[in-house]
Amino acid sequence: MAVGPASVARASLAGRATSRRSLLERESVFSWVMLAPGVLFLLAFVAYPFVYGIFISLQDRRVASPGSFVGLANFVAQAQDAVFWQVTRNTFIYTIVATFLKMTGGLAMALVINQQFRGKNLARALLLLPFIVPTVLSTVAWMWIFDPTFSVINWTLRHTGLVTENFSWLGNATLALVSIIIVNTWRGLPFYGITLLAGLQTISPDLYEAAAIDGASVTQRFWHITMPVIKPVLIIVTMFSVIFTFSDFQLPYILTHGGPANATHLFATYAFDIGMSAGQLGMGAAVALAMLPALGLLIVALTLYLRRE
Amino acid sequence: MATRREFLTVTASTLAGAALTPRSAMGAPKSMTVVRESSFIKPFDDYFAKTLAGEYEKSTGIKINYEAVSVGGMLTRLTTIAETKAGPEIAMTALNWPHLFDKSLVDVSDIAGEIGKQLGGWHENVLEVLVVNKKWKALPWGNIGQLEVYRTDWFKEVGVNKFPETWEDLLAAGRLLKKKGHPFGFELGHGFGDNHGWLYPLFWSYGGREVDRDGKTVVIDSSETAKAVDFCRKFYQETMFEDVLGWTDVNNNKAFFGEQISCTNNASSILEVGLRQFPDIAKVTDHAMNPSGPKGRFHVLNAVSHAVLTHAPDQAAAKAFLRWLYDDKQMSRWLASANAYYAPFLHGYDNHPMWNVEPRYLPYKECLKTSRPHTWPGPQGQAASESVAKYVLVDMFAKACRGDSTKDVVATAATQLKQIYKAK
Repeated sequence: MAVGPASVARASLAGRATSRRSLLERESVFSWVMLAPGVLFLLAFVAYPFVYGIFISLQDRRVASPGSFVGLANFVAQAQDAVFWQVTRNTFIYTIVATFLKMTGGLAMALVINQQFRGKNLARALLLLPFIVPTVLSTVAWMWIFDPTFSVINWTLRHTGLVTENFSWLGNATLALVSIIIVNTWRGLPFYGITLLAGLQTISPDLYEAAAIDGASVTQRFWHITMPVIKPVLIIVTMFSVIFTFSDFQLPYILTHGGPANATHLFATYAFDIGMSAGQLGMGAAVALAMLPALGLLIVALTLYLRRE
Repeated sequence: MATRREFLTVTASTLAGAALTPRSAMGAPKSMTVVRESSFIKPFDDYFAKTLAGEYEKSTGIKINYEAVSVGGMLTRLTTIAETKAGPEIAMTALNWPHLFDKSLVDVSDIAGEIGKQLGGWHENVLEVLVVNKKWKALPWGNIGQLEVYRTDWFKEVGVNKFPETWEDLLAAGRLLKKKGHPFGFELGHGFGDNHGWLYPLFWSYGGREVDRDGKTVVIDSSETAKAVDFCRKFYQETMFEDVLGWTDVNNNKAFFGEQISCTNNASSILEVGLRQFPDIAKVTDHAMNPSGPKGRFHVLNAVSHAVLTHAPDQAAAKAFLRWLYDDKQMSRWLASANAYYAPFLHGYDNHPMWNVEPRYLPYKECLKTSRPHTWPGPQGQAASESVAKYVLVDMFAKACRGDSTKDVVATAATQLKQIYKAK
């Protein structure tokens, strides 16, 4: 039988398809094909900006100008800047206090909404609202809440006779930091609450029943059943929360822009002012990278702890 | 009929020719984009987008797109444009930005020279912020002045019928007004305009200076600065309330319309909004120049201008548009649509009919003569921007107002400035 050119081409195509299929059937190849989109995404939107940030932090890089390598000069300059140390202090206080409040409040929230009560699902949905509303929008609402004249907090305090004069929530240095911590806590609570609720729901009710029969008190059940089960979730949530809080920008930027007199300046807002307003991209990148050691240590420590557990 | 070979040869040569021909020789671009910070004056933005852009397209066939950036966001937008070398061909600049973006802006000295000749010459003080290495990097449009905005009815209630001429007299009036429950509200927080709008003039009017003209000698630690700081503390304590320390630019407007304050420092946007939305308050609102101090009277200069970006594919076309826009036929109408929000830098417009519509805007014209750029008399540039971005001067005054000693706040500012200007 004569073999025409068409059948040769068909055979060659079929052969190529088969070899492609067999290639994909190899686990090592298939796994990389599946991972590729994610890896490319991370390379483009996480690795590249990160490496580029390190690159320009080592340069005297002014806006719209080529940079020149200056080594660690930007970091040295920051170390000699009193405002930078105030920003460092603010960021640590802000992160530690807000994270603690979110952790304890979120845990309490999760424990409450894990109970059976009428309207449970509605309550769960409503509790998510602070997390869903765009930060810019909710922060503008908080601006009104902290306004000296129109503040609902001041109004309530005065009308209940608790105070005679309005608090200057955003004008007083201490209260301004307290105010941004309050707003951050309000916004971050649902993240803790819902994630911990997911952890709580994995606990079998049988465990609680058995413990109750054995005479364990509510506190004992919490420490010996609830906590061990949700601890890994709590650690992961805390890790994320610390990262988000440490690098918070929108909230302080809108509410106070770092004022009064730098009392609420955080790493992100200060880096933005130096990089964008002053046009010193290299120096701005150096300020932003100052967050890295603390966050890196935290992530490594928590990851090691999780592995050990 | 041409053969396939002939057809391919002709097509390939045409394509190659097109690729090698300079873009300008290929004719005018189909469209260009102008980016500006959204003005508080809606008719002004609309006049450009709906009237002027249409007229230009009709006469040249080039479509002009208008991109409005929210208030306070223009510097960030300009940074992304300059860094990516992409986007609008023409951009608004303000303050000393032409110095920051020098390398990304086209020399427009030729147009500036022509317009200056036609319209009576430019105000000299604007050159400092626009002319970089003897080249005009932007065409001045108008100054957004920062003046005293006050309630005439409340001032009259305490016997002050004319706005005080000096800072000391304003302090005396403020004491009386605060007692009557009408405190002053001058921003001392981290805003972008209303804080510098009065603190630099106050500082200068007492003889204070951040840095000398050479840009190398920090001179802030002086008895003049100490006097300005002492006055500011007294002014704050006796006429204001604590919240102003944390205010940004929206707060004083809100407080003025909330009838919480009797005087502030602002652009004419308060009266503009008042006329539209709060007519009763607008009736009793007026403007005055900043008071004078022992060393004179000052205002801050905020020169809104237009520049051509170097990445523009057809720079000649972009410059041609600006030449058309700055022609009296167009410029005069566009300025008039802004209700005197922009005080033009051309002497030919000193008596423009726009000033006759609302006499309360006249001080914004008068203040041009005594307007200076931030950080004056120091040179404009990166260091000046860094000083402003780090709120060195604002925080010096704010810390004094919250109770820190004059000696400490001045010393801190001096240390910061020495780092910024790399001075000893």
